[in-house]
Amino acid sequence: MELFTPEFGLVFWMFVAFLCLYFILAKWAWPFIIKSMEERADKIDKGVAVHQEAEARLKNARAEADKLLADARSEQADILREAAKMRNELIEKARNDAADEAKKVSQAAQVSLEQARKEAEKQLRTEVGDLALQIAEKVIRKNIANDDAQRALVDQYLSEVETKN
Amino acid sequence: MWCRCACIDRGMKSKIITAIVALVIVALMGWGYYSNAQHRAHGHTSELNPKETIFEHLGDAYGWEVPFNHSLRIPLPIIVWGQDGLHCFMSNRITGGETYDGFKISTSEEHHGKVVQVMDDGTEVRPWDFSITKNVAGIAIAALLVIWMVMKLKRWYVRNGMKAPRGGTGFLELIVDFVYTDTIRPILGKHAPKYAPYLLTAFFFILTMNLLGLIVIFPGGANLTGNIAVTLVLALLTFLITTFSGTKEYWKEIFWPEVPMMLKCPVPMMQLIEVLGMFTKPLALMVRLFANMMSGHMVVLVLVLLIFIFTNLFGVGVGIGTSIFSVAFTLFMLLLDVLVSFIQAYVFTILSTIFISMALVEPHEHEAAK
Repeated sequence: MELFTPEFGLVFWMFVAFLCLYFILAKWAWPFIIKSMEERADKIDKGVAVHQEAEARLKNARAEADKLLADARSEQADILREAAKMRNELIEKARNDAADEAKKVSQAAQVSLEQARKEAEKQLRTEVGDLALQIAEKVIRKNIANDDAQRALVDQYLSEVETKN
Repeated sequence: MWCRCACIDRGMKSKIITAIVALVIVALMGWGYYSNAQHRAHGHTSELNPKETIFEHLGDAYGWEVPFNHSLRIPLPIIVWGQDGLHCFMSNRITGGETYDGFKISTSEEHHGKVVQVMDDGTEVRPWDFSITKNVAGIAIAALLVIWMVMKLKRWYVRNGMKAPRGGTGFLELIVDFVYTDTIRPILGKHAPKYAPYLLTAFFFILTMNLLGLIVIFPGGANLTGNIAVTLVLALLTFLITTFSGTKEYWKEIFWPEVPMMLKCPVPMMQLIEVLGMFTKPLALMVRLFANMMSGHMVVLVLVLLIFIFTNLFGVGVGIGTSIFSVAFTLFMLLLDVLVSFIQAYVFTILSTIFISMALVEPHEHEAAK
């Protein structure tokens, strides 16, 4: 049957056409196309990998930054708290110091007051003694026989002393 | 704003083109009908011969039909090497049944439809026929189309480097990627770059020829891959490549396979089977592509012819009813054939790849370990 018998001319031309096509495409097209496609596939794969890495890194960096920020915040809070504490302490200390000082001053004042009092007492005593001695002297010097007169004299002197004081 | 305008423009343009194409088709149909009526009026009544029509359309021809016309052909060169040397002339000198320079298209049983040289004693002798027939011209058109397509893809890479191609070029790349990256490379491995040019060329050539065959008017319409000569060459090339790239192990497996001695020694049974296998593989390739494509064409032809057969038998009314049915089925068949075109091109390529990979066998693991 005609359909199933290959025609010689057609076989010949088909062969020629295919070989021409093959040599043209094999020389100038296919290797270049395949190479380009593979290169691009590689590039895309690499690009995806790089992108993923970058994304992960970005995520890390963000987390790290957040952590740093939080740390800094807590540190700041700590410092502030510390400062407040220190300030309070300082104030307290100053207050205490001032109180101590005041106490000391008042104690010293008291001591000196006491001393002054004692000294005054002492002076009073010597003065009283002196007066007593003077009175006694005067009494002795006048040599008075009259008791009444003697008593009046003592009274007089004593009142003198009182007015003096 | 500009973009929107462009879109509307494009829509308008495609509508205008559709309208023009429809008008041209309607005009051609009218003209065809008119010329047919003229033909009949002059007393030429042609009896419908379905078998002849089918084989005429499936086979080769010395001119290319013009749509809607029975006699007009695009002339193609006839190149024959007869008893007295080379003859070249255009086919329109003999397609009308004339004899030119001692050559005519035979009407005899033996050389029906072929160019023959009429000898002095009236016998017809078939010369060496290198004519650019319809199929040869179709092959050339397909080859040029493939070159244009592939070069377009290559130019894209040259010009745009790593950018992804768009549109038709992108589709082409998708197919190349599908055939090469997903089929050839996994099967052939490190040998892939060496055989890929042949396999890709074969795939695109077959695909283009298949699809061109589905277009009914010039430059399509030649039943290329449904012609056994074409598939013969393709299968032969795969056979040659397989045979010449066979490794030592491949030949050893054919002539001294690892089977019990009694199967191969006094009577070379296994050898016979293996050698037969060498030839049946490409033979199957040849017949598969040929039969698939030819049967698709044949079904479409029969469906269309049904209209005319029923019109002749039962009149115009039945013919119109049949035409609705026939056109619907023809459309379905043609769409199916588009699918088959892809599948058969792919099947040819993948089987060729597998046959080549079988020829590239390396010694088995357990043998290498010895």
